[in-house]
Amino acid sequence: METADLSHHISRRFNEDLEHLRGRALAMGGFVESQLAKALTSLYEGDSSLGESVALDDLKVNGMEVSIDEECSRILATRAPAAGDLRVVVAIIKAITDLERIGDEGEKIGLIASRLASMERPENKYREIKHLGRIVSEMVHDALDAFARLDAESALRVARQDRLVDEEYEAIHRQCITFMMEDPRTIRRVLDVMWVVRSLERIGDHAQNICEYVIYMVHGKDVRHTSLEDVERELRAKGSQP
Amino acid sequence: MNPVAQAWAYTLARVAGLAGLGVLLGLLLGSVTVGLLVMLSVALTWQLFNLYRLDYWLRARNLREPPNAGGIWGQVITQVVRLHRRKRFHKQRLLDVFRELRHSTAAMPDGVIVLNANNEILWFNRMAMRLLALRRRIDIGIRISNLVREPRFVQFLDKADFSAPLEVPRANRDGLALSFQVVPYGRQQRLLLVRDVSRQVALESMRKDFVANASHELRSPLTVITGYLETLVQDTDIDPMLQGPLGEMRRQSDRMNAIVRDLLELSRLDAGDAEAPYDTIDVAGLLAMLNKDVTARLRHPQVSLVIESPAGLLGDEAEVHSVFANLVENAVKYTPDEGQVSIRWWVDAQGEAHLSVTDTGMGIPAEHIPRLTERFYRVDAGRARTTGGTGLGLAIVKHALEHHGARLHIESEEGVGSTFTCHFPARRVWQGGRQGTIDAAG
Repeated sequence: METADLSHHISRRFNEDLEHLRGRALAMGGFVESQLAKALTSLYEGDSSLGESVALDDLKVNGMEVSIDEECSRILATRAPAAGDLRVVVAIIKAITDLERIGDEGEKIGLIASRLASMERPENKYREIKHLGRIVSEMVHDALDAFARLDAESALRVARQDRLVDEEYEAIHRQCITFMMEDPRTIRRVLDVMWVVRSLERIGDHAQNICEYVIYMVHGKDVRHTSLEDVERELRAKGSQP
Repeated sequence: MNPVAQAWAYTLARVAGLAGLGVLLGLLLGSVTVGLLVMLSVALTWQLFNLYRLDYWLRARNLREPPNAGGIWGQVITQVVRLHRRKRFHKQRLLDVFRELRHSTAAMPDGVIVLNANNEILWFNRMAMRLLALRRRIDIGIRISNLVREPRFVQFLDKADFSAPLEVPRANRDGLALSFQVVPYGRQQRLLLVRDVSRQVALESMRKDFVANASHELRSPLTVITGYLETLVQDTDIDPMLQGPLGEMRRQSDRMNAIVRDLLELSRLDAGDAEAPYDTIDVAGLLAMLNKDVTARLRHPQVSLVIESPAGLLGDEAEVHSVFANLVENAVKYTPDEGQVSIRWWVDAQGEAHLSVTDTGMGIPAEHIPRLTERFYRVDAGRARTTGGTGLGLAIVKHALEHHGARLHIESEEGVGSTFTCHFPARRVWQGGRQGTIDAAG
């Protein structure tokens, strides 16, 4: 399989510095994943102190972005990497920005959760958000896995999930509007729910971006503004070439 | 004659034969030299041809049909065939051993991953694959922390302190609680063992919930009983013969109340965060208040308080108060009236703070000291029942100190007395307004 050979080839060429850098970026990813999980838990369980702790810890995420970015600049300046290695450094610089944004959205969710915890909890206990929350969390996780494995096929598959996220988002939006029309007393709470859902949708977008960077790293193709069908078609064509 | 010698003899004989033919030919042609030369060229060509066959055969890898050759060439060919057969045999043996190993590790209920010094995956068994969603071939060579990104696990690997396993609740996609243990071995390799401990975690959680719930449930009935007993004891119309028993009942129900209260305190400590907050605590003031309390209630034994440092603490005030109060109460309880209880608070050169409570009581036998902080542990049943107490005081002290990253040290000599010392780490010391160390966690 081309991907496996290619990733093997690339990973063998990494020197220690680059591997260490990748490790740090992925560790940041792991921390952001745990932030998101905590934020969602604080929402579902009405745990305001957990929500606040997520907001406090976001400082650490910002710190990580800054220091990894510095390390990337250092490597670019001192080692002038080329070809595959250069793509990796560039992809890391971009990915950490998206990770930091995911962290920010997680912080927003945490703060809203802590506010909602003191309010009256709805009948279905935010079930609609749980489903979307799970899809988005898995997207982030799978995107980072694909980054670790340099697996462009998986990245493509995960990127497609964003369509599901958009559909869910639309559905929840319609539901929320219905709630607000039925009972205006719920408007405050429902608005908060809509903010949470919006944050989740943005996190999905960032996860999709990370997938695009994976494809860029492996195939050297910048697919940021190409539709997914076109990306797939091109990749398949490339794969069938000898 | 052995086959090697035979082969050499054969070959040499042929060479000699050819030489002889050469001489004959030479005589025929009129020049022995020419004849010999011709024959030697024939011999050389023949050897080169054999070399070629050997080379071709080896390269074609068709080791089933070795070329027919006599003499030394035959010997060489035989040796090569033999070498090859031996190699195949050993390879087969190795494969068999390896397959056995794979079967047994596949059957293991725990996940096993072999890592190199850089924490890159070298190999893993099926259970590890299932628990951590690893992929058969793609993941070889990838650093494990790139795939298992749980921050606690990443830190665990980084710190490289493998003295204790790491438990992570909700560690994988299925939300299982996993326990990670690393065992270094061989040439800088590491064995990572992954175990599904969800059941144990659930049981532990049920146990804690049970204790908390049971204690809560016991509270109300006890309050009722205590309430009535209070009234009855104070009722002067009651038969004086009942006064004694009523008094005893009241004391015992008070004791039950105290036990329930302590159990709830322990449950709270158990369920809470691993680390206490960093609020400022005026230790000098706290100790002074405690001292005043105790001396107001009991005139004996003598309690002396020495505060050698104005520094305070960073932690949970209620818990720290609990710790100090428990230690002082214990000291006072187990010291005779003529005895002495000394409380000392100081900060050492490394910035660590210490509180010691020394008494001149009956002391504790050495064999009991390690178990003193167990719940309801009694050195001897008789001693405790007369002096009261719930048996949970030291358990609470130990838990609360752990919350603050502090330790308890117990020294005692029977008939002489005991000293209980709390050691607080530098990061918990409050230098009166300034934090003890710059890197106090936030």
